[in-house]
Amino acid sequence: MNGFAAFARKEATEIVRTWRIWVLPGMLLFFALTGPVMARFTPEIVAAAGGDQLAGLVKSLPTPTYLDSYAQWAKNLSQIALFAIIIIYGGLVSGERKSGTAILALTKPVSRSAFVVAKAVVHSLFLALTVIAGTLATWGVTALVFGKAPGEALWSSALSWLAFGVLFLAIMTLLSSLMGSQAGAAGVGLGAFALLSIAALWEPLAKYSPVGLASAPMTLAMGKESAILWPVVTSLALACVLVATAAWAFRTKEL
Amino acid sequence: MSAAVEIRRLTKVYAHKRVLDRVDLRVEEGSVFGFLGPNGAGKTTTLRILTGLARPTKGTVRVLGHDVATVDNAVRAEIGFLPDVPGFYEWMTAGEFLRFAGGLFGIERRVLDPRIEVLLDLAGLTDVTTRVGGYSRGMKQRLGVAQALINAPRLLLLDEPTSALDPMGRKEVLDMLQSLRGRTTVFFSTHILGDVERICDTVAILDHGRVVAQARIEELKARYGAGKVVVEVGEGADGLAEAIGAAAWAAKVERDPTGTIEITVSDAEAASREIPAMVAARNLPLRRMEAGEMGLEEVFVQLVGGGQS
Repeated sequence: MNGFAAFARKEATEIVRTWRIWVLPGMLLFFALTGPVMARFTPEIVAAAGGDQLAGLVKSLPTPTYLDSYAQWAKNLSQIALFAIIIIYGGLVSGERKSGTAILALTKPVSRSAFVVAKAVVHSLFLALTVIAGTLATWGVTALVFGKAPGEALWSSALSWLAFGVLFLAIMTLLSSLMGSQAGAAGVGLGAFALLSIAALWEPLAKYSPVGLASAPMTLAMGKESAILWPVVTSLALACVLVATAAWAFRTKEL
Repeated sequence: MSAAVEIRRLTKVYAHKRVLDRVDLRVEEGSVFGFLGPNGAGKTTTLRILTGLARPTKGTVRVLGHDVATVDNAVRAEIGFLPDVPGFYEWMTAGEFLRFAGGLFGIERRVLDPRIEVLLDLAGLTDVTTRVGGYSRGMKQRLGVAQALINAPRLLLLDEPTSALDPMGRKEVLDMLQSLRGRTTVFFSTHILGDVERICDTVAILDHGRVVAQARIEELKARYGAGKVVVEVGEGADGLAEAIGAAAWAAKVERDPTGTIEITVSDAEAASREIPAMVAARNLPLRRMEAGEMGLEEVFVQLVGGGQS
Protein backbone atom coordinates (compact mmCIF):
# COMPACT_ATOMS: atom_id res chain seq x y z
CA MET A 1 0.00 0.00 0.00
CA ASN A 2 1.86 3.01 -1.34
CA GLY A 3 2.07 6.11 0.79
CA PHE A 4 0.81 4.32 3.91
CA ALA A 5 3.56 5.58 6.23
CA ALA A 6 3.38 9.19 5.02
CA PHE A 7 -0.37 9.25 5.28
CA ALA A 8 -0.41 7.54 8.70
CA ARG A 9 2.09 10.15 9.91
CA LYS A 10 -0.26 12.89 8.70
CA GLU A 11 -3.20 11.29 10.55
CA ALA A 12 -1.21 11.05 13.78
CA THR A 13 -0.03 14.65 13.51
CA GLU A 14 -3.58 15.78 12.76
CA ILE A 15 -4.80 14.18 15.99
CA VAL A 16 -2.19 16.03 18.02
CA ARG A 17 -2.65 19.38 16.24
CA THR A 18 -6.46 19.63 16.10
CA TRP A 19 -9.58 19.30 18.29
CA ARG A 20 -9.20 15.53 18.18
CA ILE A 21 -6.59 15.55 20.94
CA TRP A 22 -9.01 17.30 23.30
CA VAL A 23 -12.44 15.82 22.70
CA LEU A 24 -12.26 12.05 23.28
CA PRO A 25 -9.27 12.05 25.69
CA GLY A 26 -10.71 15.05 27.58
CA MET A 27 -14.07 13.38 27.94
CA LEU A 28 -12.65 10.03 29.03
CA LEU A 29 -10.16 11.56 31.41
CA PHE A 30 -12.91 13.60 33.05
CA PHE A 31 -15.01 10.49 33.68
CA ALA A 32 -11.94 8.49 34.68
CA LEU A 33 -11.11 11.00 37.41
CA THR A 34 -14.62 11.76 38.65
CA GLY A 35 -16.09 8.24 38.38
CA PRO A 36 -14.33 6.73 41.44
CA VAL A 37 -15.17 9.79 43.56
CA MET A 38 -18.81 9.62 42.47
CA ALA A 39 -18.91 5.89 43.25
CA ARG A 40 -17.38 6.36 46.69
CA PHE A 41 -19.63 9.23 47.74
CA THR A 42 -22.90 8.22 46.06
CA PRO A 43 -24.69 7.53 49.40
CA GLU A 44 -23.58 10.89 50.80
CA ILE A 45 -24.58 12.70 47.57
CA VAL A 46 -28.01 11.03 47.54
CA ALA A 47 -28.52 11.85 51.25
CA ALA A 48 -27.49 15.50 50.73
CA ALA A 49 -29.72 15.88 47.71
CA GLY A 50 -32.79 14.04 49.05
CA GLY A 51 -32.68 15.00 52.74
CA ASP A 52 -35.07 13.05 55.00
CA GLN A 53 -37.18 11.90 52.06
CA LEU A 54 -34.48 9.54 50.80
CA ALA A 55 -33.13 8.51 54.21
CA GLY A 56 -34.58 4.99 53.82
CA LEU A 57 -33.08 4.58 50.38
CA VAL A 58 -29.68 5.76 51.57
CA LYS A 59 -29.69 3.25 54.43
CA SER A 60 -30.55 0.45 52.01
CA LEU A 61 -27.61 1.26 49.72
CA PRO A 62 -24.70 -1.15 50.15
CA THR A 63 -21.35 0.33 51.19
CA PRO A 64 -19.56 1.31 47.96
CA THR A 65 -16.48 -0.71 46.99
CA TYR A 66 -13.79 -0.38 44.36
CA LEU A 67 -15.98 -2.56 42.10
CA ASP A 68 -18.57 0.23 41.98
CA SER A 69 -15.85 2.52 40.70
CA TYR A 70 -14.90 -0.01 38.02
CA ALA A 71 -18.55 -0.47 37.05
CA GLN A 72 -18.86 3.29 36.70
CA TRP A 73 -15.90 3.30 34.29
CA ALA A 74 -17.30 0.36 32.30
CA LYS A 75 -20.67 2.12 32.05
CA ASN A 76 -19.06 5.34 30.83
CA LEU A 77 -17.07 3.45 28.19
CA SER A 78 -20.07 1.41 27.03
CA GLN A 79 -22.31 4.42 26.65
CA ILE A 80 -20.66 7.83 26.46
CA ALA A 81 -17.37 6.75 24.84
CA LEU A 82 -19.15 4.56 22.30
CA PHE A 83 -21.57 7.32 21.32
CA ALA A 84 -18.63 9.71 21.02
CA ILE A 85 -16.84 7.27 18.67
CA ILE A 86 -19.96 6.93 16.54
CA ILE A 87 -20.42 10.68 16.23
CA ILE A 88 -16.75 11.71 15.87
CA TYR A 89 -15.84 9.06 13.31
CA GLY A 90 -18.98 9.42 11.17
CA GLY A 91 -16.92 11.74 8.96
CA LEU A 92 -13.58 9.93 9.11
CA VAL A 93 -13.41 9.37 5.34
CA SER A 94 -16.29 11.48 4.02
CA GLY A 95 -14.90 14.59 5.75
CA GLU A 96 -11.81 14.47 3.55
CA ARG A 97 -13.93 13.99 0.44
CA LYS A 98 -16.09 16.96 1.37
CA SER A 99 -13.19 19.30 2.15
CA GLY A 100 -11.30 18.38 -1.03
CA THR A 101 -8.21 17.20 0.86
CA ALA A 102 -8.76 13.62 -0.37
CA ILE A 103 -8.40 14.81 -3.98
CA LEU A 104 -5.01 16.42 -3.37
CA ALA A 105 -3.74 13.34 -1.54
CA LEU A 106 -5.20 10.71 -3.86
CA THR A 107 -3.82 12.25 -7.05
CA LYS A 108 -0.40 11.43 -5.61
CA PRO A 109 0.99 7.91 -5.31
CA VAL A 110 -1.00 6.94 -2.22
CA SER A 111 -3.49 4.16 -2.82
CA ARG A 112 -7.07 4.51 -1.70
CA SER A 113 -6.66 1.38 0.41
CA ALA A 114 -3.69 2.97 2.20
CA PHE A 115 -5.78 6.11 2.74
CA VAL A 116 -8.60 4.19 4.47
CA VAL A 117 -6.47 1.63 6.34
CA ALA A 118 -4.06 4.29 7.66
CA LYS A 119 -7.01 6.17 9.13
CA ALA A 120 -8.49 3.06 10.76
CA VAL A 121 -5.13 1.92 12.18
CA VAL A 122 -4.01 5.31 13.53
CA HIS A 123 -7.37 6.08 15.14
CA SER A 124 -7.58 2.58 16.66
CA LEU A 125 -4.16 3.16 18.24
CA PHE A 126 -5.31 6.58 19.44
CA LEU A 127 -8.43 5.00 20.96
CA ALA A 128 -6.29 2.33 22.63
CA LEU A 129 -3.92 4.90 24.15
CA THR A 130 -6.86 7.01 25.32
CA VAL A 131 -8.63 4.05 26.95
CA ILE A 132 -5.39 2.84 28.59
CA ALA A 133 -4.68 6.35 29.93
CA GLY A 134 -8.24 6.66 31.22
CA THR A 135 -8.13 3.23 32.83
CA LEU A 136 -4.82 4.04 34.51
CA ALA A 137 -6.34 7.27 35.83
CA THR A 138 -9.47 5.60 37.15
CA TRP A 139 -7.34 2.81 38.68
CA GLY A 140 -5.16 5.34 40.51
CA VAL A 141 -8.07 7.43 41.81
CA THR A 142 -9.93 4.26 42.86
CA ALA A 143 -6.88 3.20 44.90
CA LEU A 144 -6.83 6.64 46.50
CA VAL A 145 -10.48 6.86 47.49
CA PHE A 146 -11.12 3.20 48.31
CA GLY A 147 -7.74 2.27 49.71
CA LYS A 148 -7.45 -0.79 47.47
CA ALA A 149 -7.83 -1.43 43.75
CA PRO A 150 -7.02 -4.91 42.43
CA GLY A 151 -6.37 -4.61 38.70
CA GLU A 152 -7.83 -7.74 37.10
CA ALA A 153 -11.52 -6.81 36.99
CA LEU A 154 -10.78 -3.29 35.80
CA TRP A 155 -8.32 -4.20 33.05
CA SER A 156 -10.22 -7.21 31.74
CA SER A 157 -13.29 -5.00 31.53
CA ALA A 158 -11.51 -2.05 29.86
CA LEU A 159 -9.54 -4.15 27.37
CA SER A 160 -12.55 -6.20 26.34
CA TRP A 161 -14.42 -2.93 25.77
CA LEU A 162 -11.48 -1.69 23.73
CA ALA A 163 -12.07 -4.54 21.26
CA PHE A 164 -15.71 -3.40 21.05
CA GLY A 165 -14.58 0.22 20.55
CA VAL A 166 -12.23 -0.83 17.74
CA LEU A 167 -15.10 -2.75 16.14
CA PHE A 168 -17.26 0.38 16.19
CA LEU A 169 -14.45 2.47 14.80
CA ALA A 170 -14.25 -0.01 11.92
CA ILE A 171 -18.03 0.18 11.46
CA MET A 172 -17.78 3.98 11.27
CA THR A 173 -14.84 3.74 8.83
CA LEU A 174 -17.02 1.66 6.52
CA LEU A 175 -20.06 3.90 6.92
CA SER A 176 -18.07 7.07 6.29
CA SER A 177 -16.58 5.47 3.16
CA LEU A 178 -20.03 4.60 1.87
CA MET A 179 -21.96 7.70 2.91
CA GLY A 180 -21.28 11.35 2.20
CA SER A 181 -22.95 12.67 5.34
CA GLN A 182 -21.35 12.49 8.78
CA ALA A 183 -24.75 12.82 10.48
CA GLY A 184 -26.18 10.05 8.29
CA ALA A 185 -23.29 7.70 9.09
CA ALA A 186 -23.63 8.49 12.80
CA GLY A 187 -27.35 7.72 12.65
CA VAL A 188 -26.71 4.33 11.05
CA GLY A 189 -23.92 3.71 13.59
CA LEU A 190 -26.32 4.34 16.48
CA GLY A 191 -28.78 1.97 14.81
CA ALA A 192 -26.05 -0.69 14.64
CA PHE A 193 -25.35 -0.17 18.35
CA ALA A 194 -29.04 -0.59 19.20
CA LEU A 195 -29.21 -3.81 17.14
CA LEU A 196 -26.09 -5.25 18.79
CA SER A 197 -27.46 -4.42 22.24
CA ILE A 198 -30.72 -6.25 21.47
CA ALA A 199 -28.89 -9.17 19.89
CA ALA A 200 -26.79 -9.49 23.08
CA LEU A 201 -29.93 -10.75 24.87
CA TRP A 202 -29.67 -14.04 22.95
CA GLU A 203 -27.09 -15.93 24.95
CA PRO A 204 -25.62 -18.29 22.28
CA LEU A 205 -24.98 -15.32 20.01
CA ALA A 206 -23.50 -13.29 22.87
CA LYS A 207 -21.16 -16.15 23.74
CA TYR A 208 -19.60 -16.60 20.30
CA SER A 209 -19.85 -13.26 18.55
CA PRO A 210 -18.99 -9.55 19.01
CA VAL A 211 -22.43 -8.85 20.50
CA GLY A 212 -21.22 -10.41 23.74
CA LEU A 213 -19.07 -7.32 24.26
CA ALA A 214 -22.16 -5.14 24.63
CA SER A 215 -22.57 -6.39 28.23
CA ALA A 216 -19.35 -8.31 29.08
CA PRO A 217 -17.27 -5.26 30.15
CA MET A 218 -19.86 -4.35 32.79
CA THR A 219 -20.05 -7.94 34.04
CA LEU A 220 -16.26 -8.14 34.34
CA ALA A 221 -16.04 -4.75 36.06
CA MET A 222 -18.43 -6.01 38.72
CA GLY A 223 -15.95 -8.78 39.49
CA LYS A 224 -18.00 -11.56 37.85
CA GLU A 225 -16.87 -14.12 35.30
CA SER A 226 -17.62 -13.66 31.61
CA ALA A 227 -16.27 -15.68 28.70
CA ILE A 228 -14.85 -13.05 26.40
CA LEU A 229 -12.34 -14.92 24.24
CA TRP A 230 -14.74 -15.55 21.33
CA PRO A 231 -16.39 -12.12 21.47
CA VAL A 232 -12.96 -10.39 21.50
CA VAL A 233 -11.48 -12.54 18.72
CA THR A 234 -14.57 -12.26 16.50
CA SER A 235 -14.78 -8.48 17.14
CA LEU A 236 -11.21 -7.90 16.03
CA ALA A 237 -11.61 -10.21 13.03
CA LEU A 238 -14.83 -8.48 12.02
CA ALA A 239 -13.13 -5.09 12.43
CA CYS A 240 -10.44 -6.19 9.94
CA VAL A 241 -13.11 -7.36 7.48
CA LEU A 242 -15.03 -4.10 7.82
CA VAL A 243 -11.93 -1.97 7.19
CA ALA A 244 -11.03 -4.10 4.16
CA THR A 245 -14.60 -3.64 2.89
CA ALA A 246 -14.32 0.12 3.51
CA ALA A 247 -11.10 0.20 1.45
CA TRP A 248 -12.77 -1.73 -1.37
CA ALA A 249 -15.85 0.53 -1.28
CA PHE A 250 -13.67 3.65 -1.36
CA ARG A 251 -11.66 2.27 -4.29
CA THR A 252 -14.82 1.87 -6.34
CA LYS A 253 -16.04 5.42 -5.64
CA GLU A 254 -15.51 8.38 -7.96
CA LEU A 255 -14.21 11.50 -6.26
CA MET B 1 6.65 13.74 -31.06
CA SER B 2 4.98 11.47 -28.49
CA ALA B 3 1.69 12.26 -26.82
CA ALA B 4 1.54 13.15 -23.11
CA VAL B 5 -2.23 12.83 -23.20
CA GLU B 6 -4.20 10.84 -25.72
CA ILE B 7 -7.97 10.63 -25.37
CA ARG B 8 -10.09 8.64 -27.78
CA ARG B 9 -13.88 8.62 -27.98
CA LEU B 10 -14.15 9.51 -24.28
CA THR B 11 -17.72 9.52 -23.05
CA LYS B 12 -18.84 10.14 -19.49
CA VAL B 13 -22.43 9.78 -18.38
CA TYR B 14 -23.68 10.81 -14.93
CA ALA B 15 -27.23 9.78 -14.06
CA HIS B 16 -28.33 9.78 -17.72
CA LYS B 17 -26.60 13.11 -18.37
CA ARG B 18 -23.88 12.94 -21.03
CA VAL B 19 -21.15 15.17 -19.61
CA LEU B 20 -18.51 14.18 -22.17
CA ASP B 21 -19.46 13.01 -25.62
CA ARG B 22 -16.90 11.12 -27.72
CA VAL B 23 -14.05 13.47 -26.87
CA ASP B 24 -10.83 13.07 -28.86
CA LEU B 25 -7.72 14.92 -27.70
CA ARG B 26 -4.01 14.67 -28.24
CA VAL B 27 -1.53 16.73 -26.27
CA GLU B 28 2.08 16.58 -27.40
CA GLU B 29 4.78 16.09 -24.80
CA GLY B 30 6.49 19.35 -23.85
CA SER B 31 3.68 21.60 -25.03
CA VAL B 32 1.60 24.11 -23.10
CA PHE B 33 -1.97 23.12 -23.80
CA GLY B 34 -5.01 25.28 -23.09
CA PHE B 35 -8.29 23.50 -22.48
CA LEU B 36 -10.97 26.10 -23.03
CA GLY B 37 -14.66 25.94 -22.48
CA PRO B 38 -17.58 27.66 -20.82
CA ASN B 39 -18.65 26.65 -17.31
CA GLY B 40 -20.24 23.21 -17.35
CA ALA B 41 -18.61 22.20 -20.65
CA GLY B 42 -16.92 19.16 -19.09
CA LYS B 43 -13.38 20.46 -18.45
CA THR B 44 -13.22 19.42 -14.79
CA THR B 45 -14.71 16.01 -15.57
CA THR B 46 -12.00 15.46 -18.19
CA LEU B 47 -9.30 16.37 -15.67
CA ARG B 48 -10.86 14.09 -13.03
CA ILE B 49 -10.70 11.21 -15.49
CA LEU B 50 -7.10 12.05 -16.44
CA THR B 51 -6.09 11.94 -12.77
CA GLY B 52 -7.97 8.70 -12.02
CA LEU B 53 -10.50 10.35 -9.71
CA ALA B 54 -13.31 9.35 -12.06
CA ARG B 55 -13.67 6.60 -14.63
CA PRO B 56 -14.70 6.86 -18.27
CA THR B 57 -18.08 5.44 -19.28
CA LYS B 58 -16.61 4.67 -22.70
CA GLY B 59 -13.41 5.39 -24.57
CA THR B 60 -9.72 5.20 -23.75
CA VAL B 61 -7.49 7.64 -21.93
CA ARG B 62 -3.73 7.33 -22.06
CA VAL B 63 -1.53 9.52 -19.89
CA LEU B 64 2.24 9.42 -20.51
CA GLY B 65 1.73 6.18 -22.38
CA HIS B 66 -0.24 4.47 -19.61
CA ASP B 67 -3.90 3.55 -19.83
CA VAL B 68 -5.43 5.28 -16.78
CA ALA B 69 -8.03 2.52 -16.47
CA THR B 70 -5.42 -0.12 -15.71
CA VAL B 71 -2.61 1.67 -13.90
CA ASP B 72 -2.69 3.64 -10.70
CA ASN B 73 0.42 4.87 -9.00
CA ALA B 74 2.62 4.54 -12.10
CA VAL B 75 0.79 7.48 -13.66
CA ARG B 76 0.27 9.49 -10.50
CA ALA B 77 4.00 9.39 -9.70
CA GLU B 78 4.65 11.38 -12.87
CA ILE B 79 1.88 13.95 -12.78
CA GLY B 80 1.18 17.06 -10.77
CA PHE B 81 -2.41 18.14 -10.28
CA LEU B 82 -4.11 21.29 -9.05
CA PRO B 83 -7.91 21.09 -8.71
CA ASP B 84 -10.08 24.17 -9.24
CA VAL B 85 -10.61 24.64 -5.49
CA PRO B 86 -7.67 22.95 -3.73
CA GLY B 87 -8.48 21.53 -0.30
CA PHE B 88 -5.63 21.71 2.19
CA TYR B 89 -5.25 20.47 5.75
CA GLU B 90 -5.86 23.81 7.37
CA TRP B 91 -3.80 23.01 10.45
CA MET B 92 -0.63 22.66 8.37
CA THR B 93 1.72 25.43 7.27
CA ALA B 94 2.67 25.71 3.59
CA GLY B 95 6.04 24.05 4.25
CA GLU B 96 4.41 21.20 6.15
CA PHE B 97 1.95 20.58 3.33
CA LEU B 98 4.74 20.47 0.75
CA ARG B 99 6.66 18.06 2.98
CA PHE B 100 3.57 15.87 3.32
CA ALA B 101 3.03 15.94 -0.46
CA GLY B 102 6.70 15.05 -1.05
CA GLY B 103 6.38 12.21 1.46
CA LEU B 104 3.51 10.69 -0.54
CA PHE B 105 5.85 10.61 -3.55
CA GLY B 106 8.57 9.04 -1.42
CA ILE B 107 11.02 11.87 -2.22
CA GLU B 108 14.20 11.69 -0.14
CA ARG B 109 14.79 14.44 2.38
CA ARG B 110 18.02 15.69 0.78
CA VAL B 111 16.10 16.30 -2.45
CA LEU B 112 12.89 17.45 -0.80
CA ASP B 113 14.30 20.13 1.51
CA PRO B 114 15.84 22.38 -1.19
CA ARG B 115 12.87 21.76 -3.48
CA ILE B 116 10.45 22.95 -0.78
CA GLU B 117 12.52 26.11 -0.37
CA VAL B 118 12.42 26.84 -4.09
CA LEU B 119 8.68 26.16 -4.35
CA LEU B 120 7.83 28.27 -1.30
CA ASP B 121 9.80 31.08 -2.88
CA LEU B 122 8.02 30.57 -6.19
CA ALA B 123 4.64 30.69 -4.42
CA GLY B 124 5.66 33.80 -2.47
CA LEU B 125 5.07 31.98 0.81
CA THR B 126 8.60 31.74 2.20
CA ASP B 127 8.00 34.13 5.09
CA VAL B 128 4.42 33.10 5.76
CA THR B 129 4.36 31.17 9.03
CA THR B 130 0.60 31.06 9.58
CA ARG B 131 -1.42 27.92 8.98
CA VAL B 132 -3.12 27.33 5.64
CA GLY B 133 -6.53 27.84 7.28
CA GLY B 134 -5.77 31.55 7.46
CA TYR B 135 -4.73 31.93 3.81
CA SER B 136 -6.56 33.96 1.17
CA ARG B 137 -7.86 32.13 -1.91
CA GLY B 138 -4.96 33.48 -3.94
CA MET B 139 -2.40 32.19 -1.43
CA LYS B 140 -4.06 28.78 -1.48
CA GLN B 141 -3.99 28.77 -5.26
CA ARG B 142 -0.27 29.59 -5.31
CA LEU B 143 0.40 26.86 -2.75
CA GLY B 144 -1.70 24.58 -4.96
CA VAL B 145 0.59 25.24 -7.91
CA ALA B 146 3.65 24.67 -5.70
CA GLN B 147 2.39 21.31 -4.40
CA ALA B 148 1.61 20.22 -7.97
CA LEU B 149 5.29 20.75 -8.82
CA ILE B 150 6.73 18.94 -5.77
CA ASN B 151 7.58 15.80 -7.77
CA ALA B 152 8.98 17.71 -10.78
CA PRO B 153 6.17 16.18 -12.87
CA ARG B 154 6.36 15.21 -16.54
CA LEU B 155 2.75 16.30 -16.90
CA LEU B 156 1.19 19.18 -15.00
CA LEU B 157 -2.62 19.19 -14.93
CA LEU B 158 -4.19 22.41 -13.71
CA ASP B 159 -7.89 23.16 -13.37
CA GLU B 160 -8.53 26.92 -13.60
CA PRO B 161 -5.16 27.80 -12.01
CA THR B 162 -5.43 31.57 -12.36
CA SER B 163 -9.10 32.19 -11.67
CA ALA B 164 -8.59 33.22 -8.03
CA LEU B 165 -5.48 35.30 -8.54
CA ASP B 166 -4.99 39.06 -8.71
CA PRO B 167 -3.20 40.45 -11.82
CA MET B 168 0.26 40.16 -10.24
CA GLY B 169 -0.36 36.63 -8.98
CA ARG B 170 -1.75 35.64 -12.35
CA LYS B 171 1.28 37.02 -14.16
CA GLU B 172 3.61 35.13 -11.83
CA VAL B 173 1.77 31.84 -12.35
CA LEU B 174 1.62 32.31 -16.12
CA ASP B 175 5.34 33.19 -16.26
CA MET B 176 6.08 30.11 -14.21
CA LEU B 177 4.01 27.88 -16.52
CA GLN B 178 5.69 29.41 -19.54
CA SER B 179 9.10 28.69 -18.04
CA LEU B 180 8.17 24.99 -17.93
CA ARG B 181 7.71 24.83 -21.71
CA GLY B 182 9.76 22.05 -23.25
CA ARG B 183 10.52 20.43 -19.88
CA THR B 184 7.04 19.60 -18.63
CA THR B 185 3.81 19.20 -20.49
CA VAL B 186 1.32 21.71 -19.12
CA PHE B 187 -2.38 21.00 -19.56
CA PHE B 188 -4.57 23.66 -18.11
CA SER B 189 -8.25 24.30 -18.24
CA THR B 190 -9.57 27.82 -18.13
CA HIS B 191 -12.25 30.15 -19.34
CA ILE B 192 -9.81 33.10 -19.32
CA LEU B 193 -8.92 33.48 -22.97
CA GLY B 194 -6.14 36.01 -22.37
CA ASP B 195 -4.19 33.44 -20.35
CA VAL B 196 -4.43 30.90 -23.14
CA GLU B 197 -3.43 33.37 -25.82
CA ARG B 198 -0.47 34.43 -23.76
CA ILE B 199 1.22 31.11 -23.07
CA CYS B 200 -0.35 28.22 -24.95
CA ASP B 201 0.93 26.59 -28.13
CA THR B 202 -2.15 24.51 -28.69
CA VAL B 203 -5.72 24.85 -27.60
CA ALA B 204 -8.87 22.75 -27.55
CA ILE B 205 -12.33 24.20 -27.12
CA LEU B 206 -14.90 22.09 -25.33
CA ASP B 207 -18.61 22.85 -25.49
CA HIS B 208 -21.43 20.74 -24.05
CA GLY B 209 -19.05 17.82 -23.63
CA ARG B 210 -17.75 17.92 -27.20
CA VAL B 211 -14.45 19.15 -28.59
CA VAL B 212 -15.49 21.74 -31.15
CA ALA B 213 -11.94 22.70 -32.14
CA GLN B 214 -8.38 21.63 -31.48
CA ALA B 215 -5.40 23.24 -33.16
CA ARG B 216 -2.39 25.45 -32.68
CA ILE B 217 -3.60 28.92 -31.74
CA GLU B 218 -2.39 30.61 -34.96
CA GLU B 219 -4.00 27.87 -37.01
CA LEU B 220 -7.28 28.27 -35.18
CA LYS B 221 -7.31 32.03 -35.62
CA ALA B 222 -6.47 31.70 -39.29
CA ARG B 223 -9.12 29.02 -39.82
CA TYR B 224 -11.88 31.09 -38.31
CA GLY B 225 -10.34 34.37 -39.43
CA ALA B 226 -11.34 33.37 -43.00
CA GLY B 227 -14.78 34.49 -41.95
CA LYS B 228 -13.57 38.04 -41.53
CA VAL B 229 -12.71 40.64 -44.18
CA VAL B 230 -10.99 43.98 -43.61
CA VAL B 231 -11.57 46.74 -46.14
CA GLU B 232 -9.88 50.17 -46.09
CA VAL B 233 -11.04 53.04 -48.27
CA GLY B 234 -9.84 56.62 -48.25
CA GLU B 235 -13.22 58.30 -48.01
CA GLY B 236 -16.90 57.47 -48.16
CA ALA B 237 -16.46 54.60 -45.71
CA ASP B 238 -19.78 55.29 -43.97
CA GLY B 239 -21.88 54.78 -47.10
CA LEU B 240 -19.89 51.69 -48.09
CA ALA B 241 -20.29 50.19 -44.62
CA GLU B 242 -24.02 50.77 -44.81
CA ALA B 243 -24.24 49.07 -48.20
CA ILE B 244 -22.13 46.11 -47.02
CA GLY B 245 -24.28 45.80 -43.90
CA ALA B 246 -27.33 45.32 -46.09
CA ALA B 247 -25.73 42.37 -47.94
CA ALA B 248 -27.00 38.91 -47.06
CA TRP B 249 -23.48 37.53 -46.42
CA ALA B 250 -22.53 40.28 -43.91
CA ALA B 251 -23.10 39.04 -40.37
CA LYS B 252 -21.52 42.03 -38.63
CA VAL B 253 -19.94 45.28 -39.80
CA GLU B 254 -17.65 47.41 -37.66
CA ARG B 255 -16.06 50.76 -38.54
CA ASP B 256 -13.17 52.63 -37.10
CA PRO B 257 -12.41 56.37 -37.54
CA THR B 258 -9.52 55.76 -39.98
CA GLY B 259 -11.86 54.42 -42.65
CA THR B 260 -11.26 50.74 -41.99
CA ILE B 261 -14.31 48.47 -42.17
CA GLU B 262 -14.19 45.06 -40.52
CA ILE B 263 -16.81 42.63 -41.77
CA THR B 264 -17.71 39.24 -40.32
CA VAL B 265 -18.98 37.28 -43.27
CA SER B 266 -21.03 34.13 -43.63
CA ASP B 267 -20.02 33.57 -47.28
CA ALA B 268 -16.42 34.58 -47.94
CA GLU B 269 -16.61 33.95 -51.69
CA ALA B 270 -19.66 36.12 -52.22
CA ALA B 271 -18.05 38.85 -50.13
CA SER B 272 -14.80 38.76 -52.14
CA ARG B 273 -16.80 39.10 -55.38
CA GLU B 274 -19.22 41.79 -54.26
CA ILE B 275 -17.13 44.11 -52.06
CA PRO B 276 -14.80 45.32 -54.91
CA ALA B 277 -17.91 45.89 -57.05
CA MET B 278 -19.49 47.98 -54.28
CA VAL B 279 -16.30 50.03 -53.90
CA ALA B 280 -16.06 50.57 -57.69
CA ALA B 281 -19.74 51.54 -57.93
CA ARG B 282 -19.11 54.32 -55.42
CA ASN B 283 -15.88 55.29 -57.14
CA LEU B 284 -13.93 55.00 -53.90
CA PRO B 285 -10.15 54.42 -53.68
CA LEU B 286 -9.64 50.86 -52.40
CA ARG B 287 -6.50 50.93 -50.24
CA ARG B 288 -6.72 47.50 -48.65
CA MET B 289 -8.88 44.40 -48.76
CA GLU B 290 -7.72 41.30 -46.91
CA ALA B 291 -8.77 38.42 -44.73
CA GLY B 292 -8.93 39.59 -41.14
CA GLU B 293 -7.63 37.80 -38.08
CA MET B 294 -10.01 36.78 -35.37
CA GLY B 295 -9.01 37.04 -31.75
CA LEU B 296 -9.25 33.85 -29.73
CA GLU B 297 -12.18 35.36 -27.90
CA GLU B 298 -14.10 35.80 -31.12
CA VAL B 299 -13.26 32.26 -32.21
CA PHE B 300 -14.41 31.02 -28.84
CA VAL B 301 -17.67 32.97 -28.91
CA GLN B 302 -18.32 31.83 -32.47
CA LEU B 303 -17.72 28.19 -31.61
CA VAL B 304 -19.63 27.97 -28.35
CA GLY B 305 -22.49 30.16 -29.49
CA GLY B 306 -21.73 33.22 -27.38
CA GLY B 307 -24.20 32.23 -24.72
CA GLN B 308 -21.60 31.76 -22.02
CA SER B 309 -18.09 32.85 -21.24
